[in-house]
Amino acid sequence: MRKVALLTENLGVKIGGKEILRNLNIELPERRILAVMGPSGSGKSTLLRAVNRLLDTVPSCEVSGRVVIHGVDAYSSDPYKVRRLTGMVFQVPNPFPNMSIYDNVAIGPKLNGLVKDRRELDDLVRWALERAMLWDEVRERLKDPPHKLSGGQQQRLCLARALALRPKLLLLDEPTANVDPINAAKIEEALRSLVETQEISIIFVTHTPHQAMRISDYVAFLYMGELVEFGLTQEIALNPKHELTRRFLKGEV
Amino acid sequence: MVDVREVKEKAFIVISSLLAILAVLPIFHIIFSVLYRGIPPILAAGMGFLTEVPPPPGGGIGGIGPSLVGTFMLALTSSLIGAPLSFASALFSVEFPDNPISKGVRTLSKALLQIPSILVGMLVYTLVVVPMGRFSMLAGSVALAIMMIPYVTTYVEEALESVPKTYKEAGYSLGFSRTQVVFKISVSIAKRGILTGLLMGFAKVTGETAPLLFTVGKQRQEISLDPLGYSDSISLLIFDFIQTPYANWHEVAWGAALVLTSIFLTIFLMSRSLTRRVVL
Repeated sequence: MRKVALLTENLGVKIGGKEILRNLNIELPERRILAVMGPSGSGKSTLLRAVNRLLDTVPSCEVSGRVVIHGVDAYSSDPYKVRRLTGMVFQVPNPFPNMSIYDNVAIGPKLNGLVKDRRELDDLVRWALERAMLWDEVRERLKDPPHKLSGGQQQRLCLARALALRPKLLLLDEPTANVDPINAAKIEEALRSLVETQEISIIFVTHTPHQAMRISDYVAFLYMGELVEFGLTQEIALNPKHELTRRFLKGEV
Repeated sequence: MVDVREVKEKAFIVISSLLAILAVLPIFHIIFSVLYRGIPPILAAGMGFLTEVPPPPGGGIGGIGPSLVGTFMLALTSSLIGAPLSFASALFSVEFPDNPISKGVRTLSKALLQIPSILVGMLVYTLVVVPMGRFSMLAGSVALAIMMIPYVTTYVEEALESVPKTYKEAGYSLGFSRTQVVFKISVSIAKRGILTGLLMGFAKVTGETAPLLFTVGKQRQEISLDPLGYSDSISLLIFDFIQTPYANWHEVAWGAALVLTSIFLTIFLMSRSLTRRVVL
């Protein structure tokens, strides 16, 4: 029996009195990829931000229900601890522009006090960059500022930055929406190998059904803040239970 | 056949370039006349112009030593008071935009931006000079700090606000505390803008006259570093000397104007080149 990476119970989110998510119940086993699909404005990004409590930084935001990450009840623990347990990659690549490539990856473990000395930090940075499939391209120029990298490389740098904290759960908000197909393929390959080789689980937001089918084990389909369908990717691809899911997969919603 | 649209476009370009030239003409006139009338007295006095005391009426050029040192001391001490306060209030109003105090601070600092500087001088006269029983460098720097705070606060606020929200989110997602996000990310990304704001505040107060009229006294006979003693500034010296009938004092005032302009331009250029630009 696999451990549970993420469990949500009746998760609901209101921002400024408006209901963004309603009654979400998801259970994702460890070392699996969950693709969250849905049209724009269906609450996909909000779901990710509810999981790592980034919504705490949004004024007038109320979260109800429960979120449990690897046995840790997110909303009754320290939000900073929850965020260290999870890593996040954003829709638009956002490496810190004031730091070098190396420092972008090193700053997380450094500020969180995860490493003892320089050597350990060097090893961790290298490990993270390798896992993000970026090491070979940047090993000679770790001191360069990140704007010298292409958009796709910047996004892989952001992935490495998140990985450097050795998170149990990785949250990705349409990470390939702003990168070219070759870089998108590299990111997908990196994600697949992460769940196969590391103790890590992934939630992946996408609005393209093809990508969801290609790399995920589980699929959640959100529509207007509600979970329409959740289950194994193969089952949903072959036999969606809900009419809305069927239409979304055909590209009609 | 003449194309009406083309003629209109040409006319528009000509008119707007003429107006642009008209707008910057005064600046060139200032720089030119300050150079033209300021260089001769400085050449006549040599390096002594920066260190000597001013001459008696009708006798030679002397220098502006006490006023020059006073200007620097006043700008420095007022920055010591004003810069931390400006930085803190800007940080507060950007980080807690919905807090009633920060809303108040914001409105107040925008209003203070336009306050007549002579009023600041009067305020400090009643609050500092009268209780102390004398003019002092301290009173002058308090007055200049009040002039500087809204100015620098606005600058720093804008610099901090120009940092895209996504970097702060990335910081929080890495488990950073609010303090870490503010200092390692926001302030660090905006450091060029913040430093520019501080330097521009410094430059602004080196040129102020009215807040000093009845706060610093006029110590021109010797260089004084005592914060509780009298002080002076170049702008005050120009204001006084240009109103007298003495030709040699007029010359000193022009030389002083050139020194003041050079200080201002140096600080301005420094603020442009001091820090490396962070490319977003």
